[in-house]
Amino acid sequence: MKKNLSKVILQIFLISFIFLALGPILWAIVTSFLPLSSLTAKPIDLDPTKFSLRNYFEVLDTSRGLLSGLINSMIIATFTASVALVVGSAAAYALARLSLPGSNFILLAILATQMFPGIVIAIPLFIVMSRLGMIDTHFGLMFVYLSFVLPIVIWILKGFFENIPIQLEKAAAIDGATNSQTFRFIILPISLPPLFATGVFAFIESWNEFFFAIILTRINVKTAPIAISEFAGQYRTLYGQMLASAVLASLPVVILAIVFRKFILEGFVEGAVKT
Amino acid sequence: MSRSSLSSSLNEIRTAGKYQRSRLRMGILFSLPAIFILLAVLAYPIISSFILSFQDVRLAAGGIVTEFIGLENYAKIFQDAAFRNAFNNSIYFTVIEVVAVTILSLGLALILNHPLGRPAIYRVVLLIPWALAPVANAVLWKWIYNANYGVLNAIVVGLGLSETPIVWLGSPFLALNMILIADVWKAIPFITLLLLAGLQNIPRRLYKAALMDGATSWQQFMHVTLPGLRTTLIISIVLQSIWALKVFDLVFVLTKGGPADGTVLLNFLSWRVTFNYLNIGYGAAIANVLFLLMFLLALAYIRALRPRSSSNK
Repeated sequence: MKKNLSKVILQIFLISFIFLALGPILWAIVTSFLPLSSLTAKPIDLDPTKFSLRNYFEVLDTSRGLLSGLINSMIIATFTASVALVVGSAAAYALARLSLPGSNFILLAILATQMFPGIVIAIPLFIVMSRLGMIDTHFGLMFVYLSFVLPIVIWILKGFFENIPIQLEKAAAIDGATNSQTFRFIILPISLPPLFATGVFAFIESWNEFFFAIILTRINVKTAPIAISEFAGQYRTLYGQMLASAVLASLPVVILAIVFRKFILEGFVEGAVKT
Repeated sequence: MSRSSLSSSLNEIRTAGKYQRSRLRMGILFSLPAIFILLAVLAYPIISSFILSFQDVRLAAGGIVTEFIGLENYAKIFQDAAFRNAFNNSIYFTVIEVVAVTILSLGLALILNHPLGRPAIYRVVLLIPWALAPVANAVLWKWIYNANYGVLNAIVVGLGLSETPIVWLGSPFLALNMILIADVWKAIPFITLLLLAGLQNIPRRLYKAALMDGATSWQQFMHVTLPGLRTTLIISIVLQSIWALKVFDLVFVLTKGGPADGTVLLNFLSWRVTFNYLNIGYGAAIANVLFLLMFLLALAYIRALRPRSSSNK
């Protein structure tokens, strides 16, 4: 009897958890399909016959900046994630296996870089990048994003590489493989799950980043989050459009997170606890 | 390796040495690109920002003019009412955020660790708010909090909790707390996932032993679960404090610091002083104070990690 009661209470908690976690998101999605007249009716008019994709077509109009924001974010996030994987996996392997002097210090320093508030780096970067003409360029933003995703990529991949049996590498060396062949043909192919996990993570972080984007871009390289913030400010009362832009810009990262959930949950979360 | 090769032939020493050297050379080659990027984008700006904080920096005729003024920027911080206000707001925000996120995430992690909470669907539900862009999150809550058409007022007025709609972002302290709620909502999923991973690392036999000793569920929680989660809890508390001190997107989208600077947090103040008021040196000084706060937290993080990693090896 008592056991059943606690089960019921637990179910109630689980249901309210789902409701609280997804409710705000579902509300935004539902209302993003409604015209302004329904949203500003009292009480709000949820008549399903009024649902339409109009808000979506309007925010995707090329004059509104969201479409180019999505394209810019796609370019920057894809490039950042790819470079982070190439550069980061090489560094992680060096730190895990290639008896690099001072590797413990380097690892701690890498972890410490995570703790810096963005603003400390942003001010000098802004000054230097203005001098070099790198403000408002894809390259400038990618370079900055690389510096925050690299530490995490290195940290997680290093933990994974350390757990690969060393015998595997010794066997390859006996068969005459060079170190870099061992890395490319033995280590990387068996490390696909954590490579996916860190790659997806790097993509999501770069896609969502706002603080540096607002400081280091002007007109040409506005990213998706900047475009959303403009819909939330400039077109302050066009609620449906504001929500449609947020939904559109969130879709790619939410889909990635769901598709790669297994890798993210195993690779990323446990890596963070076990380090 | 070198000790055993003492007795073996010279040839073997040479090949072993060659092998070691080639691994070292490749190690340096492999880590150089990453180290270069981190030095250029992190180390250089960090040092430069420290220097800037001792300078008066002005934009003149398209260029930047700097003048060394010693500790003046830091002296100004102590007299600046705007700084004190932002500092108090940030401390309040961080403390409440960390306490709320930790308690709620721990509760949620315990529920999800129960057999009834095991289905994978609940993990997916956690990943969705986590992946959401912080700006999209801000927009979500801006719509919910909308004084005229927001769903929160519809609920509050509908339930009779208030007769008239409440302007959620209209008064300083209330607005700060509303931003806090939006931030807590976004932060819970990640910390819950961390704590869940930590819970799964607690050996089952400890619970069995506690059960055989006749421990109640409360005693099990106090004497098995909490000690087992110690490292994970410390990591999540420190990470969460650092993230709470960095909050920017929510303030920018929801209130731009208003009303009456009630939602200006340190990170936002430093941004505003630097990029709106163009007082670059002073902005850098504020940024460095924020950095100092985070650095102390980072030290705590590294210390919390140390005993665990040494016992593993």
